[in-house]
Formats: sequence, structure tokens, C-alpha cells
Amino acid sequence: MLEHDKIIDGVTEKILLEKEVGVEVARQREMKWIEMFCHWDKWVKHRFQKVKLRCRKGIPSSLRAKAWQLLSNSEELLKNNPGKFEELEREQGEAKWLDIIEKDLHRQFPFHEMFAARGGHGQQDLYRILKAYTIYRPDEGYCQAQAPVAAVLLMHMPAEQAFWCLVQICEKYLPGYYSAGLEAIQLDGEIFFSLLRRTCPMAYRHLKKFKIDPILYMTEWFMCIFSRTLPWACVLRVWDMFFCEGVKIVFRVGLVLLKQMLGSVDKLRELQGMYETMERLRNISPDTIREDILVQEVSVCVSCVLQTAYIKLVSVFTQRHGL
Amino acid sequence: MAKQYDVLFRLLLLGDSGVGKTCLLCRFTDNEFHPSHISTIGVDFKMKTLLIDGIKVRIQIWDTAGQERYQTITKQYYRRAQGIFLVYDITSERSFQHIMKWASDVDEYAPDKVQKILVGNKSDEVDKRQVATEQGVKLAKAYGMDFFETSAFTNHNISETFTRLAEQVLAANKKDLDLLRTSINDELNLAALEEEEGLCDSAAGDQHKGCWC
Repeated sequence: MLEHDKIIDGVTEKILLEKEVGVEVARQREMKWIEMFCHWDKWVKHRFQKVKLRCRKGIPSSLRAKAWQLLSNSEELLKNNPGKFEELEREQGEAKWLDIIEKDLHRQFPFHEMFAARGGHGQQDLYRILKAYTIYRPDEGYCQAQAPVAAVLLMHMPAEQAFWCLVQICEKYLPGYYSAGLEAIQLDGEIFFSLLRRTCPMAYRHLKKFKIDPILYMTEWFMCIFSRTLPWACVLRVWDMFFCEGVKIVFRVGLVLLKQMLGSVDKLRELQGMYETMERLRNISPDTIREDILVQEVSVCVSCVLQTAYIKLVSVFTQRHGL
Repeated sequence: MAKQYDVLFRLLLLGDSGVGKTCLLCRFTDNEFHPSHISTIGVDFKMKTLLIDGIKVRIQIWDTAGQERYQTITKQYYRRAQGIFLVYDITSERSFQHIMKWASDVDEYAPDKVQKILVGNKSDEVDKRQVATEQGVKLAKAYGMDFFETSAFTNHNISETFTRLAEQVLAANKKDLDLLRTSINDELNLAALEEEEGLCDSAAGDQHKGCWC
């Protein structure tokens, strides 16, 4: 680990720059994670802060799949439901869901080798787990934003594991995000915008001035957990933190992005219109986002202010919406 | 960026998931067709300027996710539209049947003055056709709409469709258009128009007669 001075938004901040983790360091990290896996329950119960810190540093890619399953508890779900996935697979499923799922199979990460070929393994597995979910939760059915999330999981683990991980994301991490009506995501959009007002008034005022509702840019960010938004290395780091800390990471990443894109007079000068601003938000240029800086910013994202503000806002909004 | 246009209005693409709304839009605005692309989640939009009757018309075209559950989100934008494309896929009978539902939603949520056009996309996929051209013609007639069969893939009827709807929106707003014409050389008024994006939005919610939106 090297310590560097980095200029962010004109302010010099010390950040820990993990520059191409050397082989030695990588091996040490793997050992630490394997050690944690061996006594997982104890680590989570007694040394969660350490687990959190290690997730923020990035889970070694060789162990990521296992870590995600432990963090999300999906591994236990799988153990407690032996044969359930196969059973779900044997069912026919409802045509109205299967129709939309089939139309979406070739529209997820079309340039990823796993999903590029029509009818290839990736697309087949994607079909299997999305279909299984509609049978597992017939009341929920299928939501189009589940496909990219499921695809990211399939890039890391076999279909059955990916299925239970998806179940946890839909039910524990982002409950209601994919349900008919999409109320939860709209509610979180309002909460997100209120948080922005406190954390980056300049970006807030700009979006308000051009009447850019949060729903216009954060729907895809949040529902796909940034998998279509950020450079790939960042996606993985965000997901590592997300599996450990939950939805608040999604909020924080969103706030950091808005701050980086709309948080200074200079940046706003080029964005004098709704169209220009939306373009910027919907096509985040990969070279404006650095993995280490993003993680650093997310970690320090005035966490206690946010936490209290978030809790307050949730209760205000849920009351207002009569939820 | 200076805005080089006289008027701005919004068009909206509606229709079932997978009928090709995003591809139509990409073909029209960028003249591109991507066989590999991703599904639309939420709402997106693109812009293009057309010259119609000597008027520079900037159109903002909103692209929406086709899945039913996204409608709680997309419906909020119906009322901001002056023109709507109702898109189905000629290789999908189901997407054609759903046009009725889309049309009734438009009646319910869009402004009364909104202009509509029916679009049967993927006309190049002759072998897979499930909806005859006559069916489209008939339905469009019943609704009093214009109708085009298009192909984003071969670029068939794309600019014709977009231009037609834009013309219809202009014609429907003729009164405002004449106002604009009489003041077209007036710098002050033109400057005011440059701010129009903001004005339009503030007027979108109420029935502000003088506004394009």
C-alpha cells in the first residue's frame, strides 16, 4: 500500500492508493480471507468492523464468489433448501414472464464473452435463474432490472448459487425494488434527492433548476447496482461493499458520483441545460472515475450525518406515502 | 452551448418491451443500428433538430422501458409530451394487441392535444411477420392516426415517421406557431425562447395555453 496525495475537487486529500496490488500482498489477503471463511460466524459476530474494512479494500477476485455468498447469507439459504432450485426448474413457469425474460437474454452485457452468443451458456443460465425466481415468488414475477444483476452474479458463480444470491438481493438488500408498482425505488429516489440537498447543495440546485427528477438518472443506477454505470473494476468494488454494508452503499456511490460530476462551478459551466446534464449522468466517462478514489469517497461520505438523515427521511416519506 | 432552434417539443416512444423503441431512436438520431444493445431500464432521451417549414424544430424524444411495471414511472412523463409513437413489432401479435392498452393509457394520462402515430417496426423480418400491414392500417384508421411500417435495421421509413409526427405536432400548435412567426425576427422573443426548456417544464403541470408544452 502506498500513500499518495491526490487532488480531488481542489482539495488535497490523503488517500490510500492500492496500486496494482503486488503478488505478495495479494497472497496475504487471500490467506486472511480464507482464515475468515473458516470461522465466518465468529468474524461476523465479533469482528464485523474488520470484515467491513476488508470488503472496502476489495475482496480478492479468486474468493469473491464465496465471500458474496457468505456476506449475503445465500450460502445458508442454499444449504437449507437442498434440491429447491432443481424443483423450481422443473416447473413450467408463466408465459407472460417467460416472454419478457426471453426478450432480455441477449440484452445483458452483450459484449461479455459469457453473454455474447445467442443461446450460449450464459444466456441459458440467465434464463434458468430468472425463470426460477418467477416461480419462487409468483407474486413478484420478473422485473427487467433483475437481468443485469443476475448476469453479474453468473459471471462469478454457478446458476444455483447465483439464484440464491439473487433471492437475497431482491428480498433482503433491496426489498420492493423489483416489485410491481416500483414504489420502493421511487421512494428511495426522493430520499436520495433529499440526501443530496444536505451533502452537495450545488448539485442539488442544478438538478432542481433543470427539473431533472431523481427517477430519470438513479433508476438504472440503483436497480442495477451500478453494474451498467461504472467501469468494471469499480462495479466489483462497489458490490463488495454492498454485500457487506447493504443499500446505504448504493446511496453513497450515487451521492459521490453526483458530487464528482456536478459538484463544482467549473463542471456545471459545461452543463447548461437539461439535455447536457442528463447526457453526462447517463454516460459516465470511465476515465473520470477512479476505483480507489471512488471507494475512498464512499467510505468517508459523512457517514453519521447520512445515517441519521436517512432514518429520519425514511420515516417522513413512508408516513407521507402511507406505507 | 447555444441553442440553435426556434421551438422545442417532446415526443415519447411507447410500446411493449423488445419492439425496438431504442433502436428506432438510435437510427433516427445517430443513424446507427446496434444488433447488440441493452434493455432500457427507466427513461432515457435523445435530441435532434429538424427543419420544418423554415422553422428549426428541436425535438426531445423520450425512450421508455416497455415492461408494464415501469409504467408507474413512465406515466409521469406522458403529460409532458406533445407527440407519441405507439410502437409494435410486426413479428409479435401480442405487441400489436397491446397497442389498445397503450392507447387507452395515453388517453388517460397524456394531454388532450397530444398527437399520436402508429408504428409497426421490424418490417425487414418478412419471414416472421405475424401482423399484416392491413391490420396496422385498419387500427390506425380506427384511432385516426397515421401509420408507418418501419425497420430500424434497414433504415426504412425512420425519418419519415419522426418527421410526420413532428409536423403533426407543429400543425396542432398552429396558433402558437403563427405567434412565433410574427416575432421570428425579434431578438428579445428569440432570447426568451432560448430559455424555453425551463419554461416548458414549469408550464407542463398546468394548462398554460401560450406554452408549447
